[in-house]
Amino acid sequence: MSEITGAYGRHIAQTSPEESFCAGCSTCELVCALTHDGVASPSCNRIFVEVDARMMYHTILACMHCSDHPCYNACPKKDEAMKLGDDGVAYIAEENCIGCGLCRKACAFDPPRINFVKSVDKAQRKSKKCDLCRERAEGPACVQWCPVRCLYVS
Amino acid sequence: MFGYVGKIVRINLTDKSTEIIPTSKYVPEYIGGRTVCNKIFWDEVSPGTAALDPGNKIIFMTGPTTATGIPTGGRSEMTGIAANSYPEMYSWSGIGGFFGSELKYAGYDGFILEGKAAERTYIYIEDDKISFLSADPLWGSLVHASRQKLEELHGKNVKSLVIGPAGENLMRNASITTSNDNVAAKAGFGAVFGSKNLKAIVVKGSGAVRPADIEKLFELRLKMGSPYMRPSPLVREMTHGMDGNEIPVDGGWLRGQVACSHGCNQHCNRLMIDMKSAFSDERINQIEKCVGIFAYGFKEDCSWTPIQNFETEMNHFLACKMLSREMPEPDPSDPHFDELFKPVRGDLLNFWKPDFDKGSVMMDMCNEYGIDKWDVIVWFFTWLAMAKKEGLLDELDFGMDVDVENEEFVKHFLDMVTYRKGKYGPIFAEGMARAIRTLGKEKFGDTIYQGRFSQMTGERLDLPVSLETAWGHSYHWQGRGFESTINKVGWLATSLSLMLSSRDTQTNAHHHDTYQNYLEIKDDPCHSELLVDAVIMNENKADIKDAVTCCDWQSPDLFWPEMESEMFAAATGIDITEQGLNYAAERSRLLFRAILIRNHGRTRDVEVGAIFPTMQFPDPLGETVGWEDWNDLVDIYYDRRGWDRATGWPTRETYEKYGLKDVADEMERIGKLP
Repeated sequence: MSEITGAYGRHIAQTSPEESFCAGCSTCELVCALTHDGVASPSCNRIFVEVDARMMYHTILACMHCSDHPCYNACPKKDEAMKLGDDGVAYIAEENCIGCGLCRKACAFDPPRINFVKSVDKAQRKSKKCDLCRERAEGPACVQWCPVRCLYVS
Repeated sequence: MFGYVGKIVRINLTDKSTEIIPTSKYVPEYIGGRTVCNKIFWDEVSPGTAALDPGNKIIFMTGPTTATGIPTGGRSEMTGIAANSYPEMYSWSGIGGFFGSELKYAGYDGFILEGKAAERTYIYIEDDKISFLSADPLWGSLVHASRQKLEELHGKNVKSLVIGPAGENLMRNASITTSNDNVAAKAGFGAVFGSKNLKAIVVKGSGAVRPADIEKLFELRLKMGSPYMRPSPLVREMTHGMDGNEIPVDGGWLRGQVACSHGCNQHCNRLMIDMKSAFSDERINQIEKCVGIFAYGFKEDCSWTPIQNFETEMNHFLACKMLSREMPEPDPSDPHFDELFKPVRGDLLNFWKPDFDKGSVMMDMCNEYGIDKWDVIVWFFTWLAMAKKEGLLDELDFGMDVDVENEEFVKHFLDMVTYRKGKYGPIFAEGMARAIRTLGKEKFGDTIYQGRFSQMTGERLDLPVSLETAWGHSYHWQGRGFESTINKVGWLATSLSLMLSSRDTQTNAHHHDTYQNYLEIKDDPCHSELLVDAVIMNENKADIKDAVTCCDWQSPDLFWPEMESEMFAAATGIDITEQGLNYAAERSRLLFRAILIRNHGRTRDVEVGAIFPTMQFPDPLGETVGWEDWNDLVDIYYDRRGWDRATGWPTRETYEKYGLKDVADEMERIGKLP
C-alpha cells in the first residue's frame, strides 16, 4: 500500500445526507459491472458500497484518481495494461492486463479501490479499476443510474 | 445460462454433507423462486412431517432476476412446513436484502436445508466451499450482535441469514433476518432454524451473474423506477403517525430512504434515524415499514381509499409509491376521480395512545429478538389491550400489571415470551392461535370487545378480542381487525385468497382490480365471475412474482401486464409471454394445492370452515356475508380453477392440462382425486 498523498483528480464522490441520502441499494456497483463487463459481480465493480447494515448509513468508496497514481507506477506492463489518459486518469486496458494484482496492492486506500477477478485460470485474472467511464458519452454510469442522485463527479 | 447460475445445493445438517443439483432439473419449466420450491417440496417431503422435525426442509430459492440489476429482483423465497401456521402446514416466506444475490455470486440459485445439526451450528458458504461451524460464540446473541460477530469472523462483505433468541427458543413467531432489517417472518421459519440447531447461514461469493439483455435491463430500470432518479435528502419530520394516531415529536425525527433489496431502484422512505433502543442508551436506526407505524400509536385503524385496490388507466399507482408518496400526481380529469380518492376513515379502536419512544422500543425488541412484528403489533398487544379492558386478564399473572401503554410492560412481555419465562411465556411462545386455545378460546379468544366504533356510521361494532383469521394468522385487509377499512368487494376477495392459502396473502398478493370491473362486481359480488377472475389473477401474479422474482410493491401493474415476462426475458433470454408465465403460475398453484391436500388433508369443508366464521363480525359499514352467498362464490372459484366443487380437489383433467399427470396419478393412488 502506498502513502495517501491527498492530491486527487476528478473522482466519484458522495453527497452529504442533507443533499441526498444513500439508500444502500448497490445500484452503483451493479451498473458499473454491467456497463463494463456485461455481468453483475462483486469482482467486477469499480465502485464500492460499504454497507452498514445496523445503522444503515452507507459509504461510497471510489477510486480517488490520485495525482501520483501509485497503481500506474506499480504496473509491470505500464502503458500497455495500465495507461494514463490525457486527463491524468489511470485506466486499465484489460486485454493487456496479466492479472498480477500489483496495482491493487499499490492502491493507497484500505480497502483498495481496485477490484480483482480471481480465477484458477490465470488468463482470466484481471484487475478492475474506475476509469470514470471514459468511453461513455453520458459519463460515469454510477452517477447516471443512482436512483437517489447521491453520486457526482467531484 | 443467463439469469441462473446453474446449481442448487442440498445441505444436510445431520451428516454435514452437501450435494449439488443442477438448476436445469427445474428451470426454465418451473421459472425459479417459490415455483421451484413447490416442486422440490412435492417431490421430497412426505405427509406427517412436523415443522420442528428434522424431516422438515427449508427450501430457499432465488429467481432468475436476482442479482441481475433488474429492479425488485433481489428478493428470494423460502418454503417448508411453517411453525406459525395453525395447524402446521406447508407455507412460504419471502425476503429481500442482499443474501440471495450473494448466494448467486457464490454459484448457487438456491439451497435445500435438511436434517438437524447435533450441535449449535452456522453454515459458512464461500463460493464452492461450504463449512459447518460451531455457533457456540453466537448462540444467545441478539440479531444485530450476531451479524456483527459474523462480519468480524468472515469479513465485512459477507451476507447472512440469522435468527435471534426467539428462533433459538423455538418461538413460533420467530423470523429470519438479513441486511437492512429485512425479515422472513410470516411462516415462523426462525423457529425451524432453531429446531435444526442452526443460528445462521453466511455467504460470500466472487462469481458473476450474466443477464441476457442488458439494454432491456436498463430500459426496465427506467420504466419501473419512474418517477425516481432524484435526490432524496434526510427529512426532519415534526410529527409521526397518521389519521388519529398522529402526534407531535419533540424536536422532530429524521426520516431517510432505505433499499429493500439488492439493486432495486425503489426505496422505502421509512428509515427512522436516531431512535430509542430497548437494550441500551445508544440511539439506533430502524425501519418502520407499513405495520410498524402502529407500534407507535393505535387509537384508530388505517383509513382506506378505493385507489389502493381499484384502479383506472388514468390513475393507478404502485402501492410502495403510495406509501412513500413517490407516486405521480393524481389525474383529476379522471371521471372516477372523486370515488377513487374518497377516504374512508378507519374504526376507532383505542388499543393504545401514541407514544414515540415506546413504539421504538417495541420495534427494536422485534428486530433484536427476531420476532414477527406483525404478530406482536397486530395480535399480541391488541389482544392484551382488548382482553384487559374486557376484564379477562385478572386471573392471569404475567409477573407485572398488564399495561400496553407502559414501555416497561412491553419489554417484560416480549422478554417473557421470547425466553419462555414463567407460566405464560411458554404458552405465548407457541403463538397466539395456540395460546388462545390453551387458555380457552371461548373466553380468551371469542369475547367481544366493546370498544370498536365505526367512524363511517358511528355505531359500536362487534370484534373478538383475539384478531384471529384463518390458518393461525391475524386479520389483514379483511374488513375487520387490522386494516379493516376496505369495502365488501375488497374483503370478499382477500378472504377468498386467504381461504385458499396457508397464511396471510396480503403481503404478496395485495388485491388489485380495475375500477371498471369493480363497478360491475359491487352489486352482487358473491355471484361475480369477475371478482373470482380478479382473485385468480392476483394469485397467479403472486406466484409469478415469487418465481421471477419481483416485488409485491411493483407487481401487478394492471396496465402493464407483460412487465414480469419482460423481466424474465431480460434476465434469461427466454422469450415468454404473459400467458406463458400464467401457465407456469397455474402449475405452481396446482402443486401448492396438491401439497395442502396430500400433506395436510385440505378439503372444501376444511377451508370454508376456517374462513367463514371470520367474516361474521361486521365490517365498518356493518356488513357480513351469508353462508349461501359465500359458498356460491367458492363454487365459482373452484369452477374457474377446474377443481371439484364438493371436495375442492383439482380434477385429473386440470392436473394434466398443466403437465402434472404424475401428480394426478399420486393423488388418485392416495384417494384424493375427485
